[in-house]
Amino acid sequence: MSLKFYRRVAFGLSPNDKPDKDPLNWALNQLDTIPNLLWPGIIPTEKELRKKYGEWVYGDREILRKKFKNDKHAYRKAKDELRIKTGERYFELNEHAIRHYQTKYSKQPVFERFWLFWGNHFAISEKDFLAEFSTGPYQREIIRPNMVKTFEEMVQSVTTSWCMIHHLDNSESFGPNSKKGMEWRETINENHARELLELHTVSPNAGYTQDDVIQLAYIMTGWAHKWDRKNLETGDIWFDQEMHQKGDKIVLGVKYKNDAKRELAKVIHDLATHPICIKFVSTKLCRHFITDEPTEDMINPVIEAWNKSNGSLIEIHKAVITQAYKHNENTHKFHPPEIWFMQLSRMFDLNIPLSPEKMNYSFSSKPNRRQRQLSWILREIGHSPYRAKQPNGWSDFEADWVSPELLLRRFWFSSVELPILVKSRNRSHDFILACLKNNFEDHENMASLIENFRFGTLDYDLGQKYGVICNLPGVLKA
Amino acid sequence: MNCTRRNFLIGGSTTLFLSGYFPKISFASMQKKNLIIISLRGGMDGLTAVPVIGDKRLRKLRKKLILEDVLNLNSDFGLHPKLEIFHKLWQTNQAAFVHATNIPYTGRSHFDGQNLMETGAHIPYKEKTGWLGRGLLASNIIGKGLAISLPMPLLLRGVPQNNNFFPSPDFVETNLIDQIYNEFKGEHNELIKSTLDTIRQRPLSMQIATDSDDRKKLALEAAKQLKDQSGPRVAVFDLDGFDTHAAQGGVDGAHADELEEVNKIVTILYENLGHAFDNTLILTLTEFGRTIKQNGGYGTEHGYGSAILMAGGLLKKSQVYTEWPGLKKKELFEGRDLNSTIDSRAVYNSAMSVCFNQDPEFLRKEVFWGDELPDLSQELFKI
Repeated sequence: MSLKFYRRVAFGLSPNDKPDKDPLNWALNQLDTIPNLLWPGIIPTEKELRKKYGEWVYGDREILRKKFKNDKHAYRKAKDELRIKTGERYFELNEHAIRHYQTKYSKQPVFERFWLFWGNHFAISEKDFLAEFSTGPYQREIIRPNMVKTFEEMVQSVTTSWCMIHHLDNSESFGPNSKKGMEWRETINENHARELLELHTVSPNAGYTQDDVIQLAYIMTGWAHKWDRKNLETGDIWFDQEMHQKGDKIVLGVKYKNDAKRELAKVIHDLATHPICIKFVSTKLCRHFITDEPTEDMINPVIEAWNKSNGSLIEIHKAVITQAYKHNENTHKFHPPEIWFMQLSRMFDLNIPLSPEKMNYSFSSKPNRRQRQLSWILREIGHSPYRAKQPNGWSDFEADWVSPELLLRRFWFSSVELPILVKSRNRSHDFILACLKNNFEDHENMASLIENFRFGTLDYDLGQKYGVICNLPGVLKA
Repeated sequence: MNCTRRNFLIGGSTTLFLSGYFPKISFASMQKKNLIIISLRGGMDGLTAVPVIGDKRLRKLRKKLILEDVLNLNSDFGLHPKLEIFHKLWQTNQAAFVHATNIPYTGRSHFDGQNLMETGAHIPYKEKTGWLGRGLLASNIIGKGLAISLPMPLLLRGVPQNNNFFPSPDFVETNLIDQIYNEFKGEHNELIKSTLDTIRQRPLSMQIATDSDDRKKLALEAAKQLKDQSGPRVAVFDLDGFDTHAAQGGVDGAHADELEEVNKIVTILYENLGHAFDNTLILTLTEFGRTIKQNGGYGTEHGYGSAILMAGGLLKKSQVYTEWPGLKKKELFEGRDLNSTIDSRAVYNSAMSVCFNQDPEFLRKEVFWGDELPDLSQELFKI
């Protein structure tokens, strides 16, 4: 078994981690429980952050725009002050620190890889101020606790979460024959229904029609934020009977009797246990951990575990890891920039994220450069995690991540930025050699490629060494 | 207003589907011809960009989205006020539009739709290459594609050694690549290896750090490269944000903001390409149009037919090419969307034939599997 397994299913081995005698069991044992979040700094709740979101949109939309409607410059200034006061510029940075810290120090790094996977499967793409206030806590409070439950339970939680409902406009969806729909002559917004089918559960392979989308949207009508004049769209999610389409609905040939809020749980049950959904999600899991084009003999055992356990995510995860282990030697998986960066951070014990004390924020001035550093790097290497452009999240295909600029960004990061993140005690050549030995079978060949810079300890020399090491095929892939 | 009548052409004197013999032109000028595609992701609303004038039904269904101050094109169609540069070029026969057109995809999913608008295929995710990449390969034009985005768009895949420009904040020493190049062995490293080849061949001006948030600078550099006789022949810009389910607005809404971005890019290209603009075609590409009817959030839903915005000196004349399907309920696709009466791939195939000096019949077979795509090059473009 080669050491790359530790990068394939986790983030490699830090200088304090040692390879396990039984790597498969080491990985499997990490999946039964939810590890605590380790970040010693502030971890605000989703509700607290939604309140901040509300303060920001209310302040801007209801107060500043009216107050400064004739003075563009004063408006801009007041808006910037409001950004600072509500943390609009800060909370995303803090979330990135929580996330990066977790992947770096977690004793269950394999669990953390699945956390990243599910956050991306049920992606919140860049919309309104979700990245600023909501996507981080959504991944912590909606995705994470469900990772020891069933897939169906995860879909239920996600579908009725404030973040996903806002992301996919379900609060704007009215049953045309509902009380409010008739009164206000409003109709459905199909967005959430379509993505629930296409991205979250059965995928287009299920052959659903436009009618199925409409019928599912009818079932979903009423699941909306509670609107009021002060909180605007940031109120809690509830079921508004007066928005709900009356009558029976039929989705994928199954009839759902008129049953108000209970309709949704029933249709989600059917979607989340649909054989095509199980195959679709199992394939995605194998693609993420094993290879871009997983084969039936990798996918089928995952489907089997799924069926046997009635969709227990713990059992599904274990089946994926078992396959990843089995195919470790004969496959190559290219890692997207964020995972690559997290691995470098763990393997070379980089000085990032910033300490919790320095991450503390006063809400009286813009976050400083150091506080912005982690998020800035993520953006510049092309992978700011909460800012996928579309609701299908970030791609798991190598071809989507290999372009001249995206590769150049990795050379840039490893040769220009990374040396700044090397801890002063770790600047020796021997430290690099020890890290390589801990993580790569061919560490001697890797060492020979940086031999020329052996005696240099300037940032430039470190840049040359890391620029070479971090972009080798065996580091870009596992 | 007679836009409800089927089968009428605005500006075209002969039928659009005249598929005559393609003359093997002498390629009189050996001037390099540029093809620029601007992807408009999210579903561009053709009825907002190129609104049909005075349609009562549209007014009724889109109460909150109607534009009051459209720019005038002809008696039947106007132009969104944010698309100023197209209006300017319209006066000199350098802007034109194809309306009620789309790729043959009616599924209304962004992801499937965007996949198909780039692959040009019928089944989502089946093809792994883009129609533009295949067109370049079939025309034996290698290493001449330039993408103005961080990822390499699917549209350009299928031909090796494309370049992209979206620079990092600092200069990158490419000597690092030389030190590790030989480590990329085996088939599974081929993609990375060929990408490293492309980086090594980049011109110096593309190695300079800049601010990639600044669309203007990116478009400027693209113009500079395209102007160079030995530079790229194809460029792909990527814009998103057209998915306006809410607050789509009229003259100043969310859709207008996106159209303004298109306008900016075309303006910079026009102003900086100089004479090369005469040998250039700029075409937009989107996955679908949007519903006729506004939704609960004063936005629109995913639809079908849209429009292609075109600019450049290789256009034949300023016209709105359409076989207008009408907006009555029975004329709409599934009773809700503007229909598509022209397979937009016919426009792209014809554009490639003009810009790559290639027989459209040949490209149709090589790129689009011989699908029924009429040759529009004589109708739309200078050949």
